[in-house]
Amino acid sequence: MNKTYVIIAAVVSITLIVSAAFVYIYYQGQISDEGVAALQNLVDDHGYTTSLTAYPDKIVSVAPSCTEILFAIGAGDKVVAVTDYDDYPYDFAAWISAGNMTSVGDFTSPNLEVITSLGPDLIFASGGVQAESVDTLRERGYKVLVLDPTSVDGILKNIELVGNATGKRAEATALVNDLTSRINAVAETVANATKPKVYYETYYEITSSWTIGAKAWQTELIEKAGGTNVFGDQQMDYYQYQVEALIARNPDVIVLPAGGMGTGEQASLDAVKARPGWDTMNAVKNDRIYQINHNIIERAGPRVVDAIEQLAEFFHPELF
Amino acid sequence: MSTDEVESTFFRRTSRWKLIVLLLVLALIITVIVSLNVGYAQIPFPDILGILGKQIPFLDRFIDSSLISSQNEAIVLEVRLPRIIAGVLIGAALAAAGVLYQGVFKNPMADSYVLGVSAGAAVGASVSILSGIGFVFFELRLVQVAAFIGALSAMFLVYNLSRVGSRVPVTTLLLCGIAVNFFLFAVVGLLEIIAANRLHDIVFWLMGGYSNVYWKDIWAILPFIIIGIVTAYFYARDLNLLAMGEETAHHLGVNVERSKQILLVLASLITAAAVSVCGLIGFVGLMIPHLTRLVIGPDHRILLPTSTIIGAIFLVLCDDLARVLSTPFVSVSTREWPVGIITMLFGAPFFIFLLKKKKQSYAA
Repeated sequence: MNKTYVIIAAVVSITLIVSAAFVYIYYQGQISDEGVAALQNLVDDHGYTTSLTAYPDKIVSVAPSCTEILFAIGAGDKVVAVTDYDDYPYDFAAWISAGNMTSVGDFTSPNLEVITSLGPDLIFASGGVQAESVDTLRERGYKVLVLDPTSVDGILKNIELVGNATGKRAEATALVNDLTSRINAVAETVANATKPKVYYETYYEITSSWTIGAKAWQTELIEKAGGTNVFGDQQMDYYQYQVEALIARNPDVIVLPAGGMGTGEQASLDAVKARPGWDTMNAVKNDRIYQINHNIIERAGPRVVDAIEQLAEFFHPELF
Repeated sequence: MSTDEVESTFFRRTSRWKLIVLLLVLALIITVIVSLNVGYAQIPFPDILGILGKQIPFLDRFIDSSLISSQNEAIVLEVRLPRIIAGVLIGAALAAAGVLYQGVFKNPMADSYVLGVSAGAAVGASVSILSGIGFVFFELRLVQVAAFIGALSAMFLVYNLSRVGSRVPVTTLLLCGIAVNFFLFAVVGLLEIIAANRLHDIVFWLMGGYSNVYWKDIWAILPFIIIGIVTAYFYARDLNLLAMGEETAHHLGVNVERSKQILLVLASLITAAAVSVCGLIGFVGLMIPHLTRLVIGPDHRILLPTSTIIGAIFLVLCDDLARVLSTPFVSVSTREWPVGIITMLFGAPFFIFLLKKKKQSYAA
């Protein structure tokens, strides 16, 4: 008899545990009303509205900035494919060669066949050169969210958008709060300091020289770090500037995004100092030329706040 | 016609030519001086003269340099002047090379693209950009050296590929050049895909321009361009005879194959030197010789020098526009337009206007 009771008790408890587990798993998969609402009418930066019925299980990210946001809010485990240029927060190239991640190839023209074979529930893309790929993907019925912000606020909003789309709303909000408080901390520190005139270089060669104007969000990073873009009055984003205008405007600080564009000359601070006529600039006279990792300042992801903090140290070394 | 008459016609013509060249040189000098005033920074003309005067020995003691800011001096001497001189050299080089290509090929469409020279330069530059090495060779950037080597290699490749026995027929040369040209631009496209993270660099280089040129770049290309054009001038008579057909030229005592070879090497050398600094700038090489021919006539002895000077003036003026032509209605814009776009945007309609006007007299 005792044996029977034991067996019954065991069967009942196992059944209870299993069903509890099923219920748990079921509720895990279920979306709260709030969550359901969050999945409806996701409006991306190009004004395109996407609605999802469930949290995406397979996400493809065709831009490093999108990947960085996805991993920062803990949605990285759903990412099944990235581009060859993704390198943060993990060494994705190594993942890809080890077979733990799929590559969609080039950033400018992600491989449609690879994406099709993966059958993602949701694709994250950036704007600019990817616009054409986005159209192609949408024509084939894929859900695509375009993250193409024009300001720091836009980047923060995108983090929340990604949170809504992937069911990581709490994490996204926590990240946004953290980033906001860091931005505010920098703002407080540099509040009363004089703002240096900053020249930000995107390209310099014999053939031409390029910088940013008011419409590039890097100008906002410079301002948030307590500086002013020396070309901030120009209502453009990236544009070809006249070197004599730079000499006449006399920047106090030069910032070079290292590892990005330019044919190596940017790697050498001495080469910058040796450029014709540049020795008349305050930045060169006072040796205030700084390099910043181009990925943190050019990718519209959470690391732009790292960029703000670094820039603030460049502009106001006495305050840090 | 008696000998006296022939001689007097010749002398009248040469004195007219001398006058034309003299006037054009004068126009070039005026263009250079006027161009020194053009740019974002508003520098008064007396200051510019003062800055220039300071550089001239003996004259410098009469100039009160305390009135001139070091910034303005840097802008005039280290930014504007090298740029204008580079414009003169590159414009002259591209136009002169255009005259030589069109003369040798007897084809109005011939220019540096035809022999694969431009494409070769583009491949050389792309490879060096892709390598990402900030390598410096005798003070020159790797991209320049690579463009120069690429341009010359492409020319030699095309020339040797189209060799038939000891002759190089013009048609084979043209077709071979066009094929190699397409092939090399495909290679550039491939390199752009491989180097997507350096894509901008390659695209910017291909857009052309020389706005940040400096004296060392100018010294490096000056000998090639000057010696190239001067040497080519001694073959102007051969070019005239070649225009009558290779057979005729041969019977009139021209060593056709050798002349063609020398002229093509000279044209490619001049072009390679120019593109190594300025990237690919279209229109000048193709259109300036035609434009000059419309006005001056087809004799290469006058066509070559006048095209050279007009090419120089044209490119310097286009570069002035690149500095002045900012966003309309905003006079203080710091923007600059790629000069290669301006040469085509303003040059092409002007050329078509001339072509329409002179339709009857232009039989190519």
